[in-house]
Amino acid sequence: MLRTVKPRNARSKRALDAREAKEVEDVRTAIFVKGTHTGEVVNGVMKELMALKRPDAISFSKKNAIRPFEDASSLEFWSNKNDATMFLIGHSTKKRPAGLTITRTFDSKVLDMCELGIDKFVNMAEFKTPKSTPGHKPMMHFASELFDTHPRFIQLKSLLMDLFNGEVIESICLPGLEHVISVTLSPAPSLQTANPILGESQDEDLQNLPKVHIRTYTVKLLPSGTRIPRVELTEMGPFIDLSLRRHQDADPEMWKAAMRRPKLKKQDLEKGLGKKRKNMEVDEMGDLRGRVHIAKQDLGKLQTRKMKGLKSVPGEEDGDSQDSEQEEASRRKRKRD
Amino acid sequence: MDVSNILASHAAKYQSVTVEKETPLDVDAGFLTVTDLTPIDEDSYQSNLEDYLKSTARDGIQALIAALYGLPTQPSPDGALAQLPEPTTKLPRAKPLPKPKPPTKWERFAAAKGIQKRVREKKVWDEERQEWVNRWGKDGKNKEKEEQWIHEVKANADVDYDPVKAARDERTSRVAKNERQRLQNVARAQTAGGEREERKKDIEKTLASTRISTASMGKFDKKLEGEKKLRGVKRKFEATETSVEQEKQASLAVLAKLDSGAKGPRKGKSAGDDVLNVRKAIRTVSKGKGGVALARETHRKGAKGKRGGKR
Repeated sequence: MLRTVKPRNARSKRALDAREAKEVEDVRTAIFVKGTHTGEVVNGVMKELMALKRPDAISFSKKNAIRPFEDASSLEFWSNKNDATMFLIGHSTKKRPAGLTITRTFDSKVLDMCELGIDKFVNMAEFKTPKSTPGHKPMMHFASELFDTHPRFIQLKSLLMDLFNGEVIESICLPGLEHVISVTLSPAPSLQTANPILGESQDEDLQNLPKVHIRTYTVKLLPSGTRIPRVELTEMGPFIDLSLRRHQDADPEMWKAAMRRPKLKKQDLEKGLGKKRKNMEVDEMGDLRGRVHIAKQDLGKLQTRKMKGLKSVPGEEDGDSQDSEQEEASRRKRKRD
Repeated sequence: MDVSNILASHAAKYQSVTVEKETPLDVDAGFLTVTDLTPIDEDSYQSNLEDYLKSTARDGIQALIAALYGLPTQPSPDGALAQLPEPTTKLPRAKPLPKPKPPTKWERFAAAKGIQKRVREKKVWDEERQEWVNRWGKDGKNKEKEEQWIHEVKANADVDYDPVKAARDERTSRVAKNERQRLQNVARAQTAGGEREERKKDIEKTLASTRISTASMGKFDKKLEGEKKLRGVKRKFEATETSVEQEKQASLAVLAKLDSGAKGPRKGKSAGDDVLNVRKAIRTVSKGKGGVALARETHRKGAKGKRGGKR
């Protein structure tokens, strides 16, 4: 447990306040950690992924003896210490060569994990093509029906989106859209959509799961004669082929807590949604002018001066209709006076 | 006029921007993400992997770009800013939702009385100096009294009465009071709700149960000074006269229950084809001691019998 720090000056107080939980969260910072042994491939993959994730990435240069599926305590410690909520752990063992584990935390506790095996890796330098600017938001593309049906791939999609694109933003600069991260699965005819009754006999299932192809491209926008440009893609790298290995699902309680949404003010929402503000305009003098619509006033119900003589007596109503009509007429007359 | 060759040349110059797919693409413009739920085409996947991946990605991104360029934009020095909608994909939060700050005593009072918060300006107009001065702080208006060079002193004042000190003490005590109240608010915010309240409720519950746990149900117990009277649960009855509609509803509910053949919770539990209620049978045979005791009993009896035989 970290000791609770009491800020001594305004600067450290601001730094601590920035770490506090917020209604609309910042982007997840990712820590890239190496396990006890990492091969050349894993190092390369981590370096390239970090290049894509920059500037919200922290690199741990030393090796660390961590096994995320057995003991996650050091992850929780690092998460607290660095205010990071995502981990990419590279490791290579004899049993599981060239592996990459993506871990997500909630409240500095591990939420879920997914281990991926690296089958093929082509780095950025091998493509002599223009690269994207660091810090620009990527567009993401997922292709396969399994991203909507199979729990493992739903989790993978969620993890990858959280890693690269998890920040809620109000607006995006259209010329700043430079690159694409595309995630495609290989066809898997033998795979039925997850069978919850049989449970997961993991080893058997893992062989059947389709491969994951991660490709990155830069976008070229060509004129098309319409407002919408024509898209052409150019390879940028890295190209990574992955296969799924172990995973850990989120604890249902924890997941429920993590999925809780703040009740945002309607005004904020409308501002964020880019809706047009109705009946408001700024005039030439820079003043905000509003137009108010009010229904037509019903003057018949207007309360005028009350007089005793004008009160309706309940007994009189039983009289002739003519009588009452006459009376009303006279009443109207008096009112006009 | 024939425009067909103009159209043809236009078509040749520009490629199409429309994407046709069997299943419509799932575009989440808020997260700049597009999901293509069409199953992977195995033939083209096998024949040329990279080309296939690139072409599917291009189609998806074309749809995403179309969605993004269709959004309302705002001009900016770097180009058009597209106003993004709320994301449709739900991603888990990284930290729990922030807890609302507990209101201070004044805030609670103001809310109850409907007092609106009003921002006090920091500067006030000084008539003598003819300029704006701080209300408090450096050269503050609140120090005016202790800094003036001449003071009015009552005729019956003490000999050692210091008007400057009196004015200063009054001001500093106001500051001290405010600080005290702030600390109280902080302390209240820390204890409010949560464990302390829960523990208090727990203790009260335990105390209530101990008070009626004597032989006389607490009737002849010594009363402590300031002990509160125990209050039980008040019984509530339905009104003797209800509206016809309510009465009808209640009767229909009873009838519906009878009609559906739904059984009580106990019967429902053992519902099935067991004719014998095993638990009840064990209880009766063992005279309420339970199955384990029964087994022991029978075992011992058997042993006794054997020994008896030997004799």
